[in-house]
Amino acid sequence: MSEPDEAPVIITINGQAVEARKGAMLVDAAKAVGVEIPVFCYEPRLGKPIGACRMCLVEVEGMRGLQTACSTPVARDMVVNTTSDQVKDAQNGVLELLLANHPLDCPVCDKGGECPLQDRTFQFGPGETRILEPKNHFPKPLDLSPLVALDRERCIACFRCVRFSEDVAEDGQLTFHERGDSTEIATFSGEPYEGRFTGNTIDLCPVGALTSNPYRFVSRPWDIKNAPSICAGCSVGCNLEITERDGEIKRVTGRPDPNMAVEEGWICDRGRWAFPALTAGDRLVMPEIVDQVGRRHVRIERAVGDAGAILRRSGIRVAFLLGTPVTVEDGFLALELSHLLDDAPVARLGVSDDGLGPLRALPGAQMHDMDGADVIVMVGGDPSSQQPVTELRLRKARRNGARVAMVGPRPTALDGNTAEALRTVPGRLGDAMDVVAERLLGSSRAIVLWDECDLAAEPVAADALARLVASTPGARAIELAADVSGPGLRALGIPATGVLEQIEAGEVDVLITVKADPTTGPGGTRWAAALNQVPTVIALSTHRSPIVDLAAIAIPVLYGLEEAGTLVSMAGRAQRLRPGAIGPEGAAAAWEVLVGLSHRMGQPLPDRTAAQAFDRMAKRFPAFSGLTCTDLGLLGAPIAAGTGGPAAPARRAEGEGLALVVSTPVFGDATAHRSDALDCVREETHLGLCPAEADRLGVSGSTHVRVTTPFASVLLPLVEDHRLHEAGAYLVLGDPASMAATLLPADRGPVCAVISAPVAQEVGA
Amino acid sequence: MGRLDALKGFGVTFRTLLTKPVTIGYPEHKTPVYPRFRGRHRLWLHDDGLEKCVGCSLCAAACPADCIRVVAEENTPEHRVSAGERYARIYEINMARCIFCGYCEIACPFDAITLEHSYELSEYTREALIYTKDVLLEPAPKQPPLHPNVPGGPIPPGEA
Ligand code: SF4
Ligand code: SF4
Ligand code: FES
Repeated sequence: MSEPDEAPVIITINGQAVEARKGAMLVDAAKAVGVEIPVFCYEPRLGKPIGACRMCLVEVEGMRGLQTACSTPVARDMVVNTTSDQVKDAQNGVLELLLANHPLDCPVCDKGGECPLQDRTFQFGPGETRILEPKNHFPKPLDLSPLVALDRERCIACFRCVRFSEDVAEDGQLTFHERGDSTEIATFSGEPYEGRFTGNTIDLCPVGALTSNPYRFVSRPWDIKNAPSICAGCSVGCNLEITERDGEIKRVTGRPDPNMAVEEGWICDRGRWAFPALTAGDRLVMPEIVDQVGRRHVRIERAVGDAGAILRRSGIRVAFLLGTPVTVEDGFLALELSHLLDDAPVARLGVSDDGLGPLRALPGAQMHDMDGADVIVMVGGDPSSQQPVTELRLRKARRNGARVAMVGPRPTALDGNTAEALRTVPGRLGDAMDVVAERLLGSSRAIVLWDECDLAAEPVAADALARLVASTPGARAIELAADVSGPGLRALGIPATGVLEQIEAGEVDVLITVKADPTTGPGGTRWAAALNQVPTVIALSTHRSPIVDLAAIAIPVLYGLEEAGTLVSMAGRAQRLRPGAIGPEGAAAAWEVLVGLSHRMGQPLPDRTAAQAFDRMAKRFPAFSGLTCTDLGLLGAPIAAGTGGPAAPARRAEGEGLALVVSTPVFGDATAHRSDALDCVREETHLGLCPAEADRLGVSGSTHVRVTTPFASVLLPLVEDHRLHEAGAYLVLGDPASMAATLLPADRGPVCAVISAPVAQEVGA
Repeated sequence: MGRLDALKGFGVTFRTLLTKPVTIGYPEHKTPVYPRFRGRHRLWLHDDGLEKCVGCSLCAAACPADCIRVVAEENTPEHRVSAGERYARIYEINMARCIFCGYCEIACPFDAITLEHSYELSEYTREALIYTKDVLLEPAPKQPPLHPNVPGGPIPPGEA
């Protein structure tokens, strides 16, 4: 990377005087003035250019032979020609050779129609070839993994995929075997290419050598529509593109024009291949009501009308519960509706704000600010599994020279090669604050990533960390938010507590849930008991879930990839969701249903589109002040930072036994479980123990253990792992149906668990 | 109008009475077509029975009336339909929209689709005008006769 402040130089490209940044590569200088130099291997996001494909040859006066424009930095008074006969000849030659072994099977290739090799050949290549010799043939396709297919005949050996694996994901799995025209991509071990980011190689491959198995032969570029949107999988808020055909989402890819401030075009495989969940068998496609006849399907107008009629009854006490992924607009309209209903309480499911105020008041940073950081400290959490693309940002920061440290109780994928791992005693993050202080010492551009769940459990540590960061000059903080809706709903002042207590006090007659299923989450047992006291539940849900079965009225709603709306990322960036497909016929966006309810109540809210709702909301809430939907555009914009709040007293973990360390991997959540494409990378619910501790507890070698907290008792698969601390029980939450999350208290506070051997007949089952 | 004018008029009538009529007694007699006439489509098989179409959808891309829909799927050793890696699981042409320009035939890299001579394509419902793959794989039931001036007949306009 060249220094940004270097003085510009004047060069001549095709007779035209051009101002270019010194050190910039010729391709970029030419592109800035609209001269296209064809490239295949050049991709600045993969690091330094390597000059592998020779497509970018140009003539530079005074230099012998042709130069690769992708790796030749501009210099004062350079005279460049990109269209001379010699250059044309080279371009023809390079393409003729690249195609020498290419099978020319464009009609059966998934890349056909959106293929740089086709485009370059058409624009810069020779009309025909002189090569008549037989071509190399390989059996095809070869499954590099269940998700990525490799066609070796089409590969042009540009190294992009290998560089991604080596230099971006740093998993070092892909490599080249053999040389010359026998060169082929493979994994080192011959094992499948495994990882959380493998799909990006498909986006990168400039030919049809790497293609997506779930998208195999599904559609061709002229049969589809693409929409730029946002991932609703975790709080990173990666920008992505949705491909639709025949009204259904068929593919998700990174944005061709990446958001360099967020994900740089890389998305994780969970974001890429979660979309089959939208058409899974348990998707709620028709509204259901319960009346004298029993439970039956109705049209959405009827369901909303019935719900409105209930809300119109006088003296009715209503409460709202918001789950995930809920947009800012959904939250805003829940608040608006609650004003029409005597200020009915609105709460979100998630981590309570208590004690996190001091951390939230710290100066914030965007994801790309990590690129220039000198020190990065992660306190708690496991971003690789809970906010995956953060991992790529951290790896890049380390390559850029940042010292990265991971302070927390869990082993992570970043340990060792990227981050210095400073393991803490489970439940004792506070003890590590002097280590954090040591890392921050002397830094001037530090960034601290703190985990919402872990620090909410330890308010004293949170307060100490906040003071530490505030007193470090230049230090900024990014919250590793636990869920995708949290940051946006918090900006609207929606708390995580209140509704459950009101229900238990018998003060709620009608509960409206929006994409919330409290009975399988933290405090599930308590919620289930409380819900029995609510006479009427109106559930807005994407999929079938226990709350839908309980509801008097269930209304199907759209999921993130299908709706318009705004999500706020963990770095406080408001970004627009754009509908990639229309969703089930009987469904509507949650905010639309809420507006519909206001109409049926006779007090219509004015919003007709999500954009109108956003603009009205932005005028009302200081966090969004000055923003309009248009301002957010394609890349979003940061919202105003929180004003903070008081520190909180220390919390004592509830229950006895080992401190429970909880992870919520996005590859294990309900959506990931509904997507069959993710079968091979899904994470399942289990309990991790250090072998010594398992031995001491007498469960060593068993497949399952019984885990008991004051809130629930669940039988879980046991995984013994020597990297785990012996003072902790490591709970990994997967499929909600395992009910493992009910082991936690409703506010996701700290808890201890007793681990015991299962009774014999339990394991057999 | 004089008497002469009436006679002139009848003159035309009687003269025409004696010429050979140009009308054809359709449907007993069909209008003959030229060899390059573009009528109903047909999908072709290879000699070994495999479909020529690989479901590449290039015909759909070329079609100015947007009346072709192709949904492809992968051939497997147990279920091999076409000669390539993929085949068309769904191949539909909406004959109500087709303008018989023949671009699909020109676009097809495997000569899998051609426009045949049959032009009797009326149906009672719109649904019946959506020709599915099994329909298109069959030869057209009613083929009109070839024009007697063949070869050397006029080349239809628009095809060079
Ligand atoms: S598989 Fe694609 S990305 Fe990888 S080297 Fe070959 S052409 Fe390049
Ligand atoms: S003949 Fe023309 S209009 Fe008809 S299907 Fe072919 S391309 Fe389309
Ligand atoms: S783009 Fe320059 S060598 Fe590949």
